Amino acid sequence: MDCPDLVNQTSVSSASAKANTGVPTLSVVAPLYNEAENVRPLVEWILQALESYVGTFEVILVDDGSRDGTWNEVRAAAIDPRIRGLRLGANVGQTAAMMAGFDNSRGEVIVSLDGDLQNDPRDIPALVSKLSEGYDLVCGWRQSRKDKLLLRKVPSWLANRLIRGLTGVPITDNGCSLKAYRRDLLRRISLYAEQHRFIPALSASVGARITEMPVRHHARRFGESKYGISRTLKVLVDLITLKMITTFRSRPLLGFGLAAIPALAVALVFGGFWLFSLTHFGPEKAAALIFPGAGLLALEVAFYLFMLGLVAEVALNSERGDANDIPNAWEVR
Amino acid sequence: MSAQGILMEPTSSTSNARAALNPGLISVIVPVVERADALVAVYHAFARELEARPEAYEFIFIFDGRFTPPAELVTLARENEAVRLLRFARSFGETAALRLGIEKSRGDLVITLPAYFQVQPEGIRLLLEAVSGGADMVVASRSPRLDSWLNRLQSRAFHRIVGGVSEQRFHDMACGVRAMRRSVAEALPLYGDLHRFIPALALREGFRVEEVSVPQHPDDARTRLYRPGVYLRRLLDIGTFFFLAKFTEKPLRFFGLVGSLFLGAGTLLSLVLLVQRIVGQGIANRPALLLAVLLLALGVQLMGLGLVGEIIVHLRAPHRRAYRVRERA
Repeated sequence: MDCPDLVNQTSVSSASAKANTGVPTLSVVAPLYNEAENVRPLVEWILQALESYVGTFEVILVDDGSRDGTWNEVRAAAIDPRIRGLRLGANVGQTAAMMAGFDNSRGEVIVSLDGDLQNDPRDIPALVSKLSEGYDLVCGWRQSRKDKLLLRKVPSWLANRLIRGLTGVPITDNGCSLKAYRRDLLRRISLYAEQHRFIPALSASVGARITEMPVRHHARRFGESKYGISRTLKVLVDLITLKMITTFRSRPLLGFGLAAIPALAVALVFGGFWLFSLTHFGPEKAAALIFPGAGLLALEVAFYLFMLGLVAEVALNSERGDANDIPNAWEVR
Repeated sequence: MSAQGILMEPTSSTSNARAALNPGLISVIVPVVERADALVAVYHAFARELEARPEAYEFIFIFDGRFTPPAELVTLARENEAVRLLRFARSFGETAALRLGIEKSRGDLVITLPAYFQVQPEGIRLLLEAVSGGADMVVASRSPRLDSWLNRLQSRAFHRIVGGVSEQRFHDMACGVRAMRRSVAEALPLYGDLHRFIPALALREGFRVEEVSVPQHPDDARTRLYRPGVYLRRLLDIGTFFFLAKFTEKPLRFFGLVGSLFLGAGTLLSLVLLVQRIVGQGIANRPALLLAVLLLALGVQLMGLGLVGEIIVHLRAPHRRAYRVRERA
């Protein structure tokens, strides 16, 4: 799976079959997992919302390895030439499903939204026009969320506070899937694992101009929520990664070096204890190896972190030369 | 930095350089790595079975360093272009042999076959039928098993452990008889000793994998009992597979979890010692302080390792995709 080209080869025939509709300027991507009942209303809703859209658009429905009839619904919807369906081989999760949609989209502007009808496609035109004001990413901000308070809203509020505090990107609602992107931005960020929550922070780290705007939110009509509270711990761990990636991606040694400072401090404190007891109580009491032992251990950790930083630099160096390393900039006129 | 200091990725030319693929050709890959008691007989029996089919076929034997091709097979290869013999200069194992076979074969359908009779030759037909039925990979499951209860017990234990990770339950991953489309064979992330997990790997890559019951050959039914080292290695293999399946994309979720356990224990112990010190108990002559610092150190080190893993994964991300598109509409 190392090679996305291989995946794309199969697309040539179906893409050319639909080429007669012209290259769309807007792509709407919706990942679907076991959402059979939602496909038809979703498509109708999107088409309705985009009725007055000037320019061509495409809707990409990504079936993320559903086990219900989602794919049949997608196939039926894809009779409309503006609708395209992708069926993934296995359930790979929302982030990878979104990436599948992004990789196969053709518009210069891409809008992502949830396949469960909780986002309102009527907000799409507003997001797109906001994007043309000079942004690379417009995030939806769900107003009056219709979700369970304790299970969804409280953890989400906490996570958003944490993300904002840690990354300094002033986005209120990181978890909202309804977002509009410029293609250029999507070329620069490669999402994996469960990074869809961190799109604003990751985008900011490559120099994107980001804003948010209020969007509507509806209660779930059909099907079940695919989230639970168990992900909280995972999100916390992922946040450490996010911080490392966004801040120290191009200089990991600095990150590890900073982490080594507390260890060095601990080593100094224990070393000081040892010196103190040596000079004040004489060697027989200082011979208790506890303090120098603990100090040496702390010293070892500092040394180890430094070496890890070097390993990270080696890894970074061997992957360098990617155009995506250059942050984005704009002409000032 | 000097120009030589920059590591370059070799351009992947393997797929372009290979001879043109033959549609309707079946490539049979036989890694000769373990047992090779009836090599020629295996060839004749399975070739006869394939002869009855409309497709052309080729046999590729890959001999691991320890094995020499039998004279009869060498003459056969000279006379028959559809039989090719390849030999490693030293022992590289089954995974390497399979990879070489996949690389050298040209058929759009790839069959792997052990170098001894594991299943009855007629079984191959069942596999090919299932592939034409739409599966991307079909693995044989020996049934009914003629083996001793010991073999079956080992196999059951193995599959029970592996079954916890993989989405679909397989019953006979040790069986070397498989049929797959070329796209599957080339997409398999094969290295190390991962050949034991081929069905699960293909499943993880997003392919449709089916299991077909195939009658076992009596030759295969001898009791297998290995040295303890072998079982240890098997356990390591399972550990590798488990780790790869769960954490390749997010190493910090593993290292961070284990690391935070250590950090938590270390912090707790430190706090207890701190309280004791304040109350007036001496701690300088007790090893508990060393333990606390050691736990904290371990925790920090594991977290650091996980972060390096995350950086590597992040750097590789532009070249990797976690999904495979099965169908388009």
